[in-house]
Amino acid sequence: MVFIVILIICFLLQMVAPWWIIIVIAFATCGIIGKTGKIAFWQSFLAIFLLWIGYALFKSLPNDNVLAGRVAVMTGIKIWWALLLVTGFLSGLVAGISGYCGYQFRMAMLAKKTDEKIA
Amino acid sequence: MNKIKALFCVIIPIALAFLFNTKLGSMPPVLKFLNPFMGFWQNAENNHFMFNHKAKIKGAIDKIEIVFDDRMIPHIFAQNDHDLYLAQGYVTAMHRLWQMDFQTRFAAGRISEVVGGKAIEVDRYQRRMGMVYGAENSLKGMMADPKAKEMILAYTEGINAYIKTLSKANYPLEYKILDFKPEDWTPVKCALLLKQMSAVLAMGSDEFYMTNILKKFGPEVTKNLFPDYPFREDPIIPVGTKWNFSSLPIPKTPESFTQAQTGEVKTTEKVEGIGSNNWALSGAKTASGYPILANDPHLDLTLPSIWYQIQLHAPGVNTYGVSLPGAPGVIIGFNQKIAWGVTNVAADVLDFYQIKFKDSSHNEYWYNNKWKTTTKRLETIKVRGGKDEIDTVYYTHHGPVVYFQKPKYGRADNVPVGDALRWIAHDESNELMTFYYLNRGKNYNDYRKALTFYTAPAQNFVFASVDNDIAITPNGKFPLKWKDQGKFILDGTDPAYDWQGWIPNAQNPTVKNPPRGFVSSANQSSTDTAYPYYINWEFAPYERGKRINDRLSAMNKATLDSIRLMQTDNYSIMAQNLVPALLPLLNNEQLNATQKEALAYLNKWNKRYDAHEIAASVFEIWTKRLSYDIWADEFEVKGIPMRYPSRDRTVEMILKEPNATWYDNVNTAKKETLSDLANEAFKYSCDSLERRFGPINKDWEWANVKQSNVPHLAKIPGFGSKVLQIGGAKSTINALGESNGPSWRMVIELGKMPKGHGVYPGGQSGNPGSKFYDNMIDTWANGKLYDLFYMQSPDDKSGTIISRLKISK
Repeated sequence: MVFIVILIICFLLQMVAPWWIIIVIAFATCGIIGKTGKIAFWQSFLAIFLLWIGYALFKSLPNDNVLAGRVAVMTGIKIWWALLLVTGFLSGLVAGISGYCGYQFRMAMLAKKTDEKIA
Repeated sequence: MNKIKALFCVIIPIALAFLFNTKLGSMPPVLKFLNPFMGFWQNAENNHFMFNHKAKIKGAIDKIEIVFDDRMIPHIFAQNDHDLYLAQGYVTAMHRLWQMDFQTRFAAGRISEVVGGKAIEVDRYQRRMGMVYGAENSLKGMMADPKAKEMILAYTEGINAYIKTLSKANYPLEYKILDFKPEDWTPVKCALLLKQMSAVLAMGSDEFYMTNILKKFGPEVTKNLFPDYPFREDPIIPVGTKWNFSSLPIPKTPESFTQAQTGEVKTTEKVEGIGSNNWALSGAKTASGYPILANDPHLDLTLPSIWYQIQLHAPGVNTYGVSLPGAPGVIIGFNQKIAWGVTNVAADVLDFYQIKFKDSSHNEYWYNNKWKTTTKRLETIKVRGGKDEIDTVYYTHHGPVVYFQKPKYGRADNVPVGDALRWIAHDESNELMTFYYLNRGKNYNDYRKALTFYTAPAQNFVFASVDNDIAITPNGKFPLKWKDQGKFILDGTDPAYDWQGWIPNAQNPTVKNPPRGFVSSANQSSTDTAYPYYINWEFAPYERGKRINDRLSAMNKATLDSIRLMQTDNYSIMAQNLVPALLPLLNNEQLNATQKEALAYLNKWNKRYDAHEIAASVFEIWTKRLSYDIWADEFEVKGIPMRYPSRDRTVEMILKEPNATWYDNVNTAKKETLSDLANEAFKYSCDSLERRFGPINKDWEWANVKQSNVPHLAKIPGFGSKVLQIGGAKSTINALGESNGPSWRMVIELGKMPKGHGVYPGGQSGNPGSKFYDNMIDTWANGKLYDLFYMQSPDDKSGTIISRLKISK
């Protein structure tokens, strides 16, 4: 569920919003519907990993990966598909961590409320 | 506990957002850059589908149609001049926005704004040399002319209309890498771009070095080693051409002056880099009976390409050629009736004056027996991630005092400390009108009229018309000088040292339809010694010009192919002159096996710098080393920056003065001879190649030693070309060095319908993510030309059209 929600919302919002919207969305989604920490991390990670790689390929394949090849040389990564993996992995990681943080944030807030009730 | 946990859960994502959105050092903001929705992936252009577009621009007067051919070259069809230049601005920005922006920021000394404090010396140099001051003056000249004003304003409007269409996702790639934004174009940027061409072509100055040489060696040696006319020459205006004007009186030479301060810089060997060839053959020497004109300007090669091809069609004009991204009009090209091209004139239009200040406040200086006040110009340099830096530049009536303290910056090496700069590029001017009239020119008279508008950088304008006129004119605004004025640093206190007026434009050297049936230039001396005025004491070496003239003299029934092959001619006149003199000096018995083998290659050498020649590699390093062996001991003195005598003078000495004292290395007890040096240099050449590549093998071939390539304008790795396996050398017509050479090769066959052919090492698009970024490089490297598609109407079917752009109000 988290996976699908993040994938769709990020895809739509990224058309207009800056990249860090993925952090906001992963955090909020997992904060609201995240079931476990594991799910929050991995589903956020996968959603953005696939979204970014998929969209990058959508731009890069019709270009015969000419640009990706040049930028790969610039960054020292050398090979275009390695650059593609770095793109997916880094963005996925950031989304995953944000999702996990969102989930943990909710848990902390809930715990706080329970604490207050008990008190 | 939970509060802290919650806090961390919020801080960590925010920190990540911040970390990956910030430029760290030279690394772009990582995820902002990698984001496929707005980052670099967006710049990957579709290689397989092209689409037609429509655009609305408020300022357009009428409908404009732009047709792109299969090399992405725009052919603009407009109904009036305003729309023509508006569209030129629009398409140029579409393909080259970052390049235009970056080049003009560089010219204006604003690179620190983009890259931070590391560029501060670059910016200071540009400001202190008066680049912005010159551009502002120049702009006044352009805006005073209604036609030039219309051109510039329409061009600016077109660029800005394009910038307005951009969203962050489609900013050119380099903006994303360097993490900055496009800014609106302004008319002064057009002026800055033209000033930058002056800086590239006419900022050379040896007077600081020459003054040091004069002080160290005295006037006789200086005169002997740095003569005012070369030993061998084949001037642009044929020897013996009569001057049919009565010249202005030449100003009187004041008594010599040699006092100058010196700084701590190294002697540099003059690097021959900027130069060009052009020529035109009259119909009497061509197969078609109509003239053929050729031009190849040599510059530091870059991607995006220096030039941008374009066709401009509107009532009264239909011209095709190359433009400079950032300036309206066609600079080198042709139309239905005429063709024209340019090469640089090494005119001395930059002088330094020694200034006597009253005190360290620099408020007053001594001139004409009075104290005169300086004016101050404050230059504010914005620094990214730092405080603004305010630099005060003092201006005398000559111009700015460039430095009071020598900076550690290579380009400033030849600038004397405490001296004022008088430079033609500071003057009001209106070069655009020259190109405006050439673009519309019909005949020789139109050509002559167009040239009167031109100031700097001075160029040899070659011309041919369908009426079978050919002509060449070393043209620009030349100061009226006494002989050798500006060979050394000038006295800033004495009015006799000021520029004394101008050579009248009509009296600039020129020749029309000379009996030899062709005109040509390769940056060599403009004239023989009979020309009454002084332009400079030294020009580029004569070898390229000589080879061109030799070949053209022998040529009859010339065709496109004979001219094309000539542009890529690798034959070296320098080798022709030196090989027979140097080879006999080698002592065969003292050579090792590799050196003997190298000598065998040299003995068989056809004196061509072709790609696969091993002898060319050996000869090149050998003669460079020999020049070093001869001059370094005398001319490389710590704390006294000087330059070597010219190649021409060195060759003359080798051929004619076998016993010159200069061969002796003053740092050794032994008395060296030319033969000793020639042997040392030859061994040095072979040994250095052997160290690099092992015993003689394929790697010794000239193309591999030379490593020609076309780098990116900002030297971004991966964005330049591969290493090209091609021949050519500085002293040959095909003057191709490591990353410097023919930036545009053009051949125009005039006739009832002109036929244009051309290529440059790059492509129309400035986007490294476009297939049109470097698609012409291989054709260029192979010495081939494309047929240029000179369209008569937007529906002309003679070429391949890949897309159309319609602009309306």
